[in-house]
Amino acid sequence: MKASSKFAACLSLALLLLAAAAAAVAAPKQAPLPRDSVYQLPATLTDQAGETRDWRSKRGTPQLVAMFYTSCQFICPLIIDSGKAVEHALPADQRARLGILLISMDPARDDPTALMSVARKRKLDAAHWSLASPEPDQVRAVAGVLGVRYRQLADGEFNHTSVLVLLDAEGRIVARSEQIGSQVDPEFVAEVRRVLAD
Amino acid sequence: MRLAVALPCLLAVAATAALAAGGAAWVRLPGGDFRSALKYEDARKVRIAPFELQQRPVTNAEFLAFVQAHPQWRRDNVASVLAEPRYLSHWASPDVLGDKALPQQPVVQVSWFAASAYCEAQGARLPTWSEWEYAAAADETRRDARSDPAWRERILAWYSTPSNKALPRAGLQTPNAWGVQDLHGLVWEWTDDFSSLLVSGDNRMQGDADKFKFCGAGALSMDDRENYAVLMRVAMLSSLDAVDTTANLGFRCARDVK
Amino acid sequence: MKRFIACIAIATLLAAAGCKQGDTPAPAAKPGAAYDSGGSLKGDFGPPQGKPIEAVLTSPPHVPPPTGRDYPAKVVVELDVVEKEMEISEGTTYTFWTFGGTVPGSFIRVRQGDTVVFHLRNMPDSKMPHNIDLHGVTGPGGGASSSFTAPGHVTRFTFKALNAGLFVYHCATAPVGMHIANGMYGLILVEPPEGMPPVDREYYVMQGDFYTTGKYREKGHQGFDMQKGIDENPTYVVFNGAEGSLTGDNALTANTGENVRLYVGNGGPNLVSSFHVIGEIFDKVWFEGGTRYNENVQTTLIPSGGAAIMDFHVEVPGSYVLVDHSIFRAFNKGALAILKADGAERPDIYSGKEVDAMYIGDQANANLAAVGAAVKAEKAGELTVDDQIEAGKALFAGTCSTCHQASGEGMPGVFPPLANSDYIAADPAHVPQVILHGLQGPIKVNGKDYDSIMPPMSQLTDDEVANIATYVLNSWGNPGGQVTKEQAAEIRKVKPANASEGH
Repeated sequence: MKASSKFAACLSLALLLLAAAAAAVAAPKQAPLPRDSVYQLPATLTDQAGETRDWRSKRGTPQLVAMFYTSCQFICPLIIDSGKAVEHALPADQRARLGILLISMDPARDDPTALMSVARKRKLDAAHWSLASPEPDQVRAVAGVLGVRYRQLADGEFNHTSVLVLLDAEGRIVARSEQIGSQVDPEFVAEVRRVLAD
Repeated sequence: MRLAVALPCLLAVAATAALAAGGAAWVRLPGGDFRSALKYEDARKVRIAPFELQQRPVTNAEFLAFVQAHPQWRRDNVASVLAEPRYLSHWASPDVLGDKALPQQPVVQVSWFAASAYCEAQGARLPTWSEWEYAAAADETRRDARSDPAWRERILAWYSTPSNKALPRAGLQTPNAWGVQDLHGLVWEWTDDFSSLLVSGDNRMQGDADKFKFCGAGALSMDDRENYAVLMRVAMLSSLDAVDTTANLGFRCARDVK
Repeated sequence: MKRFIACIAIATLLAAAGCKQGDTPAPAAKPGAAYDSGGSLKGDFGPPQGKPIEAVLTSPPHVPPPTGRDYPAKVVVELDVVEKEMEISEGTTYTFWTFGGTVPGSFIRVRQGDTVVFHLRNMPDSKMPHNIDLHGVTGPGGGASSSFTAPGHVTRFTFKALNAGLFVYHCATAPVGMHIANGMYGLILVEPPEGMPPVDREYYVMQGDFYTTGKYREKGHQGFDMQKGIDENPTYVVFNGAEGSLTGDNALTANTGENVRLYVGNGGPNLVSSFHVIGEIFDKVWFEGGTRYNENVQTTLIPSGGAAIMDFHVEVPGSYVLVDHSIFRAFNKGALAILKADGAERPDIYSGKEVDAMYIGDQANANLAAVGAAVKAEKAGELTVDDQIEAGKALFAGTCSTCHQASGEGMPGVFPPLANSDYIAADPAHVPQVILHGLQGPIKVNGKDYDSIMPPMSQLTDDEVANIATYVLNSWGNPGGQVTKEQAAEIRKVKPANASEGH
């Protein structure tokens, strides 16, 4: 083999190795997703800003998750109250590290405009609050991993159970509370603080 | 080089899958207006679009082929949020059925997520509760046999036999008036919207108006209290979460009609 | 100082004397007393103290020991739901749904004020979801809405037992009637703070009605019949889930001199029980399982979904039969159990059978005095003919007058007359002879022919024969005379030719 081709081979090999190394460094979250993470279920969420991502992108930040729909008059406003109450119960540094994710069970009607309307009305800080709709054929599965039961009625309203679900940074369910409204279960709040303290 | 090896392998797997999965025939049901045994909040009758339903539940052999083609659904691989620890626990190993899981028995110990994934892989879906109720209202000669006490008694008789006996094979029963088998007396079956059966954990609270529990409406109640067969299915499905499996809960698939 | 001590001494003496004025009964015992335990409002004794306690659960007919505590504790209960096939009667099986593998389910014992952490575990091979409603729980559904458990799952809820009493628990999954009818019931005792009064034995009995497609005692596996349940027409009514569960080798046992307590429940689903123990009276009944008791009760009503506690002291040995006194249930549907008491006989309280003698119905009234008198006189050696005539008259009335009439005139063509009888005049010995041996074949009496059979009255004793014969000889114009006991004995030995073969 000629010296120049040998050199070329070495160089390409070196570059290859370098690229591989770089790739390895550039993706710190390639640790496998735990098997008990809800993100093991693929779910594509479109939020109030119109951005569409798999909810796995929430990995890395603990989340307070609940299901709702924008035209819900009864309990869903109280769900937002719960989210705010949890926020207020946290010290400022912890508050900054919690994501609040409200997932709609009515993607047909809860497009980004409808979601944004609620966010504005309730003055929800977009830095932490995410109101999003899954794909229509994913709603049942998302409700399944969160433990929410619902039925759509003829007039478009829903009957549904309500629960606040706390996910850790890896998407594992660490606490649940069925106490909805501005008085949040103190044990649940304690769990939120514990998860954010890590 | 790798491709040359991989392709025949893939073909072999596909062939096995096709062979095993090719078993269950599809039965076409016309749908229409149907009076449910449940008292829904919003409508007296339910309208069911024409659909197709598998003639019998999915078997161990068919599910094995699915698991081999989709290894993320092996019991040693599956995410624990998608199937509880007893998932496929009656199989001898993750990809071998063994004596306790005969190929033609209906597959059990499957979660709703696994059942949904199987149906999706067939280009199908789980039946809705209404579709299931509608298909199951029939006996061998009548499309709606629900007012016949004998129909109810036969179903109740299944509930009264203990569950520790080996499951019969799928597809042994005489088909009902629609041509569908095994809707009663074999296994409980998942439906796509099982979690829409909102009943109080205490089933005696018929007409109880705890509006907070289900956001503005009371729990579902039974319109036809004599229909224990349906009542008990509802009780069973409403006690389950999507991740659960039991030793007598299986499924079959449905699909829309073009 | 001395006077002071004397005062104290006198005061103490007086106080002591006052104390000896007799027993003061516990407040709950005073009938009609204004005493009120305060119910659930006064039933909360504060947070649980000490380490959590694993509840001791027992299978029927046994009862866990008293808690022996005087403070509220956290008690952990783990109760399994098992669907299993068992015999309901010999040769007849049924698929029961059970708490703890038995019908009734395990007995749970806690104290008022306890915090109970309740785990309900549904076996993986169960076909059905189940839950539990404990009547001792204050809260929605009695726990049912919080314990709905799919097969292969466990649920948990916690409650504080605010009210004392004996409470039923049962499954409340739809259709509730079917779950209860399949045996899903049991008892939980919430002891009053001071505990139940001590007794020597405690037993757990629970009545239930069962509805099968087949008939009573039809062999083989029987299924549940919903229509019979709706019609409230049970096939079996039994204690502790099966006919014979508490009889024979499985009978409850006790010794004489013991105080026995029964905790008795009625799971229903339909029938009310009229609970009675044959041969015993309940010294105390905490009717309906509540705080007050009644005394000296024979039969107590136990509502469907209710319970009662009864104490009784056993004095006499023997088998005491527990029944539902709606009696066809006991003897035709199986509502029967046995408590076998061993010990020394007490003839002063119960003698057993003392006399078994003939009873001649309404013929036997005041006249028997004459018979008694004759017996006395004969014993004293002072029997006169008149005594015999009086006694014989009384005996004649019961035995002979039916055919020969009180006037001795008999019935023409059928029964010969004794009055003024030429047959008797011909030989007075005929009278005792015919009485003892009967008579068969044609005879002529007072010119009329008779051809009947008189059966021998050989069951009469010699003195009875003597008295009757003496009476006949001295009545209605007969020749008179006397027959003695000895003569009657002699005649008894010799059977004449025309003796009757008997009936």
